[in-house]
Amino acid sequence: MSPELVDLRPLLAVLASLFCAGAVFAVRHSSRWRAFWSLAAAGIKFALVWSMLPGSLAGKVYVYQFGELLPGVAFGFRVDALGLFFALVSSTLWVLTTVYALAYMRGSHSLHRFFGFFALCISTTVGIAFAENLLTLFVFYELLTVCTYPLIMHDENLAARRAGRKYLVYTLCGGGLILAGMVVLYFTTGTLSLAESGILDASAERAGLLAIFLLLIAGFGVKAALMPLHAWLPAAMVAPTPVSALLHAVAVVKAGVFGILRVIYNVFGIDLLRDLGYADWLAMLAGSAIVIASVNALRQKKIKARLAWSTISQLSYIVLAAALLVPLAALAAIIHIANQAFAKITMFFVAGAIERGTGKTRVDELAGVGRRMPWTMAAFTISSLSFMGVPLMAGFVTKWYLSMGALQAGAGLYVGVMVVSGLLNAAYWLPMIYQAFFQPVPGDEKRDPQHRARVSPMMIAPVLICAAYVILLGAGASAPAMPFSLAEAAARFAFELEVPLE
Amino acid sequence: MNVLATALGHVDYLVAVALFLIGAWILVTSGNLVKKVIGLNVMETSVFAFIVTTGMIDGGAPPLVVEGMEGPYASPLPHALVLTGIVVAVSITSLALVLILRVKSQFGTIELDEIVPTDEVRGAEDSDAIGGNDD
Amino acid sequence: MIDWPHWLPLLAVLPLVGGVLTPLLFYRLPTAACFWAASIAALTLAVAVALLVRLLGSGGFGYAVGGWLPQYGIELRFDEIGALAVAAGFIALLSLVFSRHYVARAVDPDRAPLYYALVLINLGGLNGFLVTGDLFNLFVFMEIFSVSAYALVAMAREPIAALAALKYLLLGALSSLLVLFSVGVVFAMTGTLNIADAAMRLDASEPMPAALALAGLAAGFAVKAALFPVHFWLPDAHAAAPAPVSAMLSALVVKAGVVGMLRTLELFGGAGELLQPLLILMVWLGAAGALGGALMALVQRDIKRMLAYSTVANIGYIFIGLGLATASAAAGAMVHVVNHAVIKSALFLAAGAIIHRTGLRNIDDLRGLGQRMPVTCFAMALALVSLSGVPPTAGFIGKWQIALGALDAGKPLLVAVLVAAGVIVLAFGIRVINALYFRPPARMSVATATDSPASMWLPLVILAFGCIGLGLAGQPMLQFVAPAVQGLYGIVP
Repeated sequence: MSPELVDLRPLLAVLASLFCAGAVFAVRHSSRWRAFWSLAAAGIKFALVWSMLPGSLAGKVYVYQFGELLPGVAFGFRVDALGLFFALVSSTLWVLTTVYALAYMRGSHSLHRFFGFFALCISTTVGIAFAENLLTLFVFYELLTVCTYPLIMHDENLAARRAGRKYLVYTLCGGGLILAGMVVLYFTTGTLSLAESGILDASAERAGLLAIFLLLIAGFGVKAALMPLHAWLPAAMVAPTPVSALLHAVAVVKAGVFGILRVIYNVFGIDLLRDLGYADWLAMLAGSAIVIASVNALRQKKIKARLAWSTISQLSYIVLAAALLVPLAALAAIIHIANQAFAKITMFFVAGAIERGTGKTRVDELAGVGRRMPWTMAAFTISSLSFMGVPLMAGFVTKWYLSMGALQAGAGLYVGVMVVSGLLNAAYWLPMIYQAFFQPVPGDEKRDPQHRARVSPMMIAPVLICAAYVILLGAGASAPAMPFSLAEAAARFAFELEVPLE
Repeated sequence: MNVLATALGHVDYLVAVALFLIGAWILVTSGNLVKKVIGLNVMETSVFAFIVTTGMIDGGAPPLVVEGMEGPYASPLPHALVLTGIVVAVSITSLALVLILRVKSQFGTIELDEIVPTDEVRGAEDSDAIGGNDD
Repeated sequence: MIDWPHWLPLLAVLPLVGGVLTPLLFYRLPTAACFWAASIAALTLAVAVALLVRLLGSGGFGYAVGGWLPQYGIELRFDEIGALAVAAGFIALLSLVFSRHYVARAVDPDRAPLYYALVLINLGGLNGFLVTGDLFNLFVFMEIFSVSAYALVAMAREPIAALAALKYLLLGALSSLLVLFSVGVVFAMTGTLNIADAAMRLDASEPMPAALALAGLAAGFAVKAALFPVHFWLPDAHAAAPAPVSAMLSALVVKAGVVGMLRTLELFGGAGELLQPLLILMVWLGAAGALGGALMALVQRDIKRMLAYSTVANIGYIFIGLGLATASAAAGAMVHVVNHAVIKSALFLAAGAIIHRTGLRNIDDLRGLGQRMPVTCFAMALALVSLSGVPPTAGFIGKWQIALGALDAGKPLLVAVLVAAGVIVLAFGIRVINALYFRPPARMSVATATDSPASMWLPLVILAFGCIGLGLAGQPMLQFVAPAVQGLYGIVP
């Protein structure tokens, strides 16, 4: 068992941006101070989370607990490898997203509300990552719903309200399922702790175990946009681009996937799930979702809609990998949280930059955009290559370990799914890149005096940094102090292995 | 104290229950508010009668400690209770009658089915509205 | 000082005397009457706290009124259920503070001192009801708080108020009579009016009259508590009453019905088999009330009616918990009695502040108010979220415990009912929050509204933070009510 250290940092990480969010609300109309506090929220969080990385890599676990909410269930934080990994990804991306959002949202209405809730979101996301037990996780999970809702509704028009309502209906019902699952779980085990690899054991009643599995997976599956429960995600693309980035890459869907990982690794545990065989069904569901969502993405004409469907497909990678229940696949699942996040956020940033720079939102309008915004489109190319699984890109690492894992688990079928999905990815990304770079700029746009799109460098810089990171995650995955080693530690912990994987 | 078991055949209890039911019937079915209050009063009376009779003992003496009075005494407690109960009943009846007066002055009737319910939700006057109410 | 024995009767006597004196001392002096009433309520609260401290130190204790032995005289008892008097004093105090500016507009100024008098009398009746150990005394205090509640509902200037009060009165009086009748039956059977004494003498040897008494008490208190399907008086009365009165009605008066039910369960603890059908009925009616109340709340347009229906739903939860008769569920139900009181009074006061400042009570008319009345709307939003039972707010503890109890009792379907009702509650909560924060104003009176004065927002904010604080204090509260649960069903687990 890894040594546990009582440390204030997990709590501070949550409180820091809570405080900053309060400050954002308080300053109301001063844009300078709003920017200051927003960046402070992101920056402090970033520093606090990264400061825990060396310790965590050395095998330490930071804990902080206070106040019993229920008998045996305290309100507490516990920073293990998996949680820290998630926190690292989201807090890193948060800094970039905040910078981007400050540029993107300039001139919009109700900005104090927007940035206030924006800062709250990261607070809750880190809360989810560091939650010591399922109840704490659930609290932050629901708070995340509450905090993202105003962001989705930001435009306050009919489409935004519809999207917001859909989002709420889905996520609240999901929350209800989780709550019911937690009740059954607590009733069965008397604890909700996530500190062990598996708190359930085979002595429990089968019906109860099935109920817990279905309730919790379906509950978290809503936010993870797991295939039959995904409809809110494409609808929510009406939100401003930074919010899409938040939904798709940084916080919301990742919180759902993270929840599923917690359920599989910490609530059930690998051994029990293997005995029960429920995970096979989950894997099949995720496998078919990968393909179906990709086919759907192919049919989309709006850039953001295509991105949304791609997200649904990519998230299923994580679920599939986790459901295979072998160490290498687990590694793929965890590392893909980062890989998908960085690649997808790049794409959303690009989509937003194109929209702001040229006003284009549809796939068939992209002709020549590559010449008007070369850097931006280059970043887009890098992340689409990553999604296709081209070696040296982040996505390849996932596909590699996932395929290895599938073979390890004796489910060679899923290697086929990988290949098909890679091809489908190529089929919907490559035409966009081709159009952007190799088709001429339409004549009327050429005469436009603003031919070279002017986009704030505050929007371009995050794009480039993310794209660079996509390469870094792919090419330098095993370099020291990279998140990869942390993901490996998390996977080892889930399988209770002492030796490194491979 | 097996009073009740033997006394269920007692006519006084039966009368009390019958009165109670009659009162309840009036209270529930009548649409006239005053009649409802009357029904309530009938019920109250039945309960008081019931409680008073529980203290009664066949052949019992009044519970007075004076020369010539010997036990078994009837229980004095129910009378005290009923006195309190009557006070409560009077206050309820008077409050109900005052409220009926107010209903009468507001709606012009005391028949429940003739009272036209005004808008329960009184929306603000339309002059208060701001344009652009989209859905 | 804390051990001074006469604190206990003071709990009821202080507000009753203070209430009776109010119109005499402060005729046509509404502001002075408000200060007077608030100070009396504060004193009562202090007494209640002192009693609570003693209870925590040395367990439950009694007081023989006039020095008569408990079997002959009236006994007062202060136990974990009686400790609800702290919540009663607290909420009454805040409601009175809130009333200072509210009443000037909602009630005829000449009658304002009467209003304060009635609130105090109501509080006195409630406190007496909570601490009495005597069945007939229970009835008398019940009538005190009931009659004052009818009159308080009628105080409002709403045209519907008199009719709503009358409906409330007729049904309330009917239920009181059922209780009185049952008290008579219990007295005839046992020859005593002391609850503890009667509980020992009641057993199932005479099933017919005992069942009759039980049915009468249960039906009577169910009406007082607005358990589905005898809840129909509640939405009218609670929606028509002045907002601070609605707060007290929903938070306390309705809960007195629950307490009455608890006393009934104590009384018939010895006749356990008689309780079984009642408990089953309570669970089913509670479940129907929880779902039905939440659904009815969802379709309301008037904000106070919506809140009133949500009270019906929450009473449903509480009765599910009591009916399940497991330790965790009953404890959860008792904690929810307090937590819901705080949440619902926050909501009604917030609604009152909104109505007071804008004159609007239709949810759709309140669009955009979040910008104009930030403090009030924030408190409202917080309380709404808490109402739906999102952890770690106050609404969560009770529902969680009740759900656990449902599993304990082998009724997993009830968990689904609880969760579904919670989601519905959240849905209408979100509907209100949406209107307040995410829609442009549709009414001039919203666009020109300003936030309420401190006497209104301060009680609100205190209660809203209570919604969070109580959620974090779940564990100590559950421990606190645990002894009371043991005495409930006559079974010591």
